[in-house]
Order: sequence, then C-alpha cells, then structure tokens
Amino acid sequence: MVRFKNRYVLCEVVSEDPRCRQCIEDRALGLAVRDAIARVHGDYGLACCSISFTVKYLNAYTGTVLLRCRKDWYRLLCSALPFVRYLESRAQRYPCFLNTLHVGGTIRTCQKFLIQYNRTQLLRLLQNCTNEEERQCIQKSLLRCSLTEEQSQSGDEEEDDGTE
Amino acid sequence: AAAFERRVLRRAAEHHYLRVRLELPDAGARPNAAQFKQLVVTALKELHGEVGAALPVDVLTYEEKTLSAILRVISSGLVKLWSALTLLGFYQNRRCAFRVLQTSPFLLALSGNSRELIL
Repeated sequence: MVRFKNRYVLCEVVSEDPRCRQCIEDRALGLAVRDAIARVHGDYGLACCSISFTVKYLNAYTGTVLLRCRKDWYRLLCSALPFVRYLESRAQRYPCFLNTLHVGGTIRTCQKFLIQYNRTQLLRLLQNCTNEEERQCIQKSLLRCSLTEEQSQSGDEEEDDGTE
Repeated sequence: AAAFERRVLRRAAEHHYLRVRLELPDAGARPNAAQFKQLVVTALKELHGEVGAALPVDVLTYEEKTLSAILRVISSGLVKLWSALTLLGFYQNRRCAFRVLQTSPFLLALSGNSRELIL
C-alpha cells in the first residue's frame, strides 16, 4: 500500500475522414473518452476513472494516444473505449473509433511496445505502397531503425517521419 | 452418535431479494408497476450507466397502496442496485426516497420480519 499504481492504455485513432487528423487534440479526446465512460458506466464510473485520468501522449500524424488511469479502474476505461464514436472540436464532428493496442503498467513498457509496433507497421506499409518515392522513403526509414553494426544506439525509433 | 458436520456456503445463491418501499411525501399520482420498474432502471442508469441499466432486475410484487415491492437481482449486481436505489432523489421532479426493509438471498426469508416481530 505504498504508491498509487496506474495503467497506461495505448490506442490509435482510426478514421476515414482525413480532416479528423487535425482535430486530434488532447482536450477533445479527453472529453470524448470521459463522455463515453459517463454514458456506459454512469456517474460512479466517471468519478472512478477521472481520479487520475489524463491523455499522456498524443501523436496526430499516426493517431497514437496514450491514456492513463488508476489500476483499479482500468477495466472500466477499456470497456468504454469502443463507445467513442466521434471526436468533436471547433463545432465539427468527425466519426472515428479507437483501437486499443496495448495496456501497460508504465510509460516505458508502452513506449517499447510502440517502437515494435511501428516497426511492423512500416513493414506493412512497405508491402502496400504504390508510389516509387513513397517506397524509397519507407525503405530509408526502415534502414534507419533496424539494428546494424555501425549504429551504436538504436533509440529514437519512434520518431519516424510517419509518411503514409 | 452421528458425526456433526457443518457446511457454510458463501455467495452460493444466484439471486438476491430486496423488499423496498418508495417514500413519496407529497400527495400525487402514485406510480404503477411499470412506472416503478422504470424508476428502478432509471436509478441504475444514472449511477451506473448503460451497464447498470442492463442489469437483470425483476419486480416480483408491487403494491400501489403502500408503494412497497420485492425486487430480485442477480447476486453480483446487488451492490449496484442498492447503491442506485439509495442515491435516487427524484421521481418526476418530486422528492422521493427508497427504504430497503429486508434483504436476503432466499425469498422465503422475506416473509417473516423479525424487526416488527411479524412472523
């Protein structure tokens, strides 16, 4: 009973509308998630999950979101995430959904997972890309982030250019 | 002499039964059975959301004159139901309160009331 334990939920925002990317911001997303929790779990669920709830990390280019909540109530949060149907900002609604990728106990484990995930996503993008210059870009990113003997450190891989 | 064996089963019952009474201090139209159930589900929905409102609650008996009823709920949902009934304050903008008179995992136990010595 020494410290408060948190759970970090890593999700990605998937939307068909390309304009949705610009409205991915932490306040809009936080409000949307809290609204979904209030609908699904009522006042009690909203109060429980809001104790230590923040949007810790947000990447608008890749749509990656890291949410934090208390360890006792992370199941309420995870069960309410499929009920987020749209993001609202500046009086505009964009339909979207949240894909849960990983639930971790610390930011570091989520970061490790995200690095692995981004690597596999790059490989998938390489298979599906149509343009020659896109292919060159992705191949360059892949070479930079895979381990070679010359490179002394392979950190900072999650700072990919996010080309699509 | 026969061997004495005592078995205690905890949390073995599937349902919990609650005898509740709705207190409506002002004189107005009393809810009928359907409106009473709607009130219970609304209370659950406010406190516990859609998940709470989907809890399988049954109104086994309802008396409109005394506004008392026997509710049945699945055992895992007893805490949610009881807390929702406690925190309900309004019925159609009129002040109201739920009083829980008896609760038991067995329906037969609700027939006798040892508080008022009615057995």
